[in-house]
Amino acid sequence: MMAAFRQIVLMTGKDLRIEARGRQTISLVVVLGVLIIVVLGMGLGAGRPVTGFGATAILWVAYLFGGVLCFEKTMAVERNDDALAGLLLAPVDRGAIYAAKLLTNVILMFALAVVVTPVAILLFRFDLSAHPLGFALIMALGMIGFAAVGTLFAAAVSSTRLQGGLLAMLVFPLSLPVVIVSTQMMRRLFQEGEPLGGTGLATLLAFDVIFLVLSWIVFELVLEP
Amino acid sequence: MPPPRRLLAHAYWILTAVLSAATIVMLLTYTPVEATMGPVQKIFYLHLPVAINTFVAALVVFIASIGYLWQRKMWWDDLAAAAGKVTVLFCAIVLLTGMVWGRSAWGAWWTWSPRLTFSLILFLLYVVYMMIRPSIEAPQRRAAISAVYGIAAFLDVPLVYLSVKMMPDIHPSSIALAPEMKLTLAAWFVPVTLTMAGLIATRFRLNRRLRAFEQHQAMTTETPAAANYMGETA
Repeated sequence: MMAAFRQIVLMTGKDLRIEARGRQTISLVVVLGVLIIVVLGMGLGAGRPVTGFGATAILWVAYLFGGVLCFEKTMAVERNDDALAGLLLAPVDRGAIYAAKLLTNVILMFALAVVVTPVAILLFRFDLSAHPLGFALIMALGMIGFAAVGTLFAAAVSSTRLQGGLLAMLVFPLSLPVVIVSTQMMRRLFQEGEPLGGTGLATLLAFDVIFLVLSWIVFELVLEP
Repeated sequence: MPPPRRLLAHAYWILTAVLSAATIVMLLTYTPVEATMGPVQKIFYLHLPVAINTFVAALVVFIASIGYLWQRKMWWDDLAAAAGKVTVLFCAIVLLTGMVWGRSAWGAWWTWSPRLTFSLILFLLYVVYMMIRPSIEAPQRRAAISAVYGIAAFLDVPLVYLSVKMMPDIHPSSIALAPEMKLTLAAWFVPVTLTMAGLIATRFRLNRRLRAFEQHQAMTTETPAAANYMGETA
């Protein structure tokens, strides 16, 4: 157990070190996220205050597109110089490889959120002061579920020719429950003043658990050098 | 196909056609017209059996996907592809009949009601399933990725259901049916289910032939694609 944990930390550290040296993914993803927010702002008429419900929808568009780019890039790193073949030959459980990639993706998505969310708050004058922790919890749970699905399919399609469009097409419909639940929970939290919990939180948790377990099991079957 | 099997297939489709015709006649002559919605309500007798059979077809995709990942036999993939196509077709019918119902009941072709949204997401999930298949060239890679997606899509269905339940609803939660209406509904399940099973079986047989043809072509022309079939288990 400790050995697996150490392997996950080592592999995540390796991915984050590559990212810290090149800063290729995070800069790309953050700029894309901000651009999406600006384009949506212009389209929706900037300057009007947006409630938590609208805020979630706008942010999810940025997170979804930024996330897909993260998933692609973290797998593409392994394609250089046949690094994936080396990783697969190493005496490491494939589940640990999945966990490490997932952890890297979640960290990159949180980094994206840390930059994009304040920009959106500034541009749209989101009022999240009523439940800032509720907002953070819902978005974090949603992102973990989205990253669980995205990491699995990024590994699956990384060896096919049509990587870009294909990954977005695979991941978006599967992640729709996360988007619907988070926007509906925000509506209840901010507009109707209902407390956090109930079906929404249970659905988000169920989504995370189901796709984490499924991905852990089938990751070995989709990974190919 | 050997003659007895062909005969059986013909008999199956003739029986399905006869039963379909009988249920249509039953709908037009025996079933009473609903008081508030009028004749448009009769679309419900098609809508509900097709909706249930959409889930059955999606379940076949799920089981065939697990079967492929477990045994790595290509016929599981052919079955999943056949059932995926039928799921998309049936889900399209559910969506269209749902929209016609919605237009008559609420005056709009589309409302973001939980059940319409649910049908739309289900449709999108399986349209994507059919779209990814031709995008991946290597047969075994295609089968593996499709199988993983087929399992994920089916596991996503209850989550989609739970999530759309959180949306504001205007859909009828339960419909009171007269005994004649219940009988018509039960009768409609028979031809619709037979059609679903028949379509999956027919498409599965066609997929098997296509695969055999592709394998034969790849071996005889010695194209690079032949390498994909080497060591493949049919």
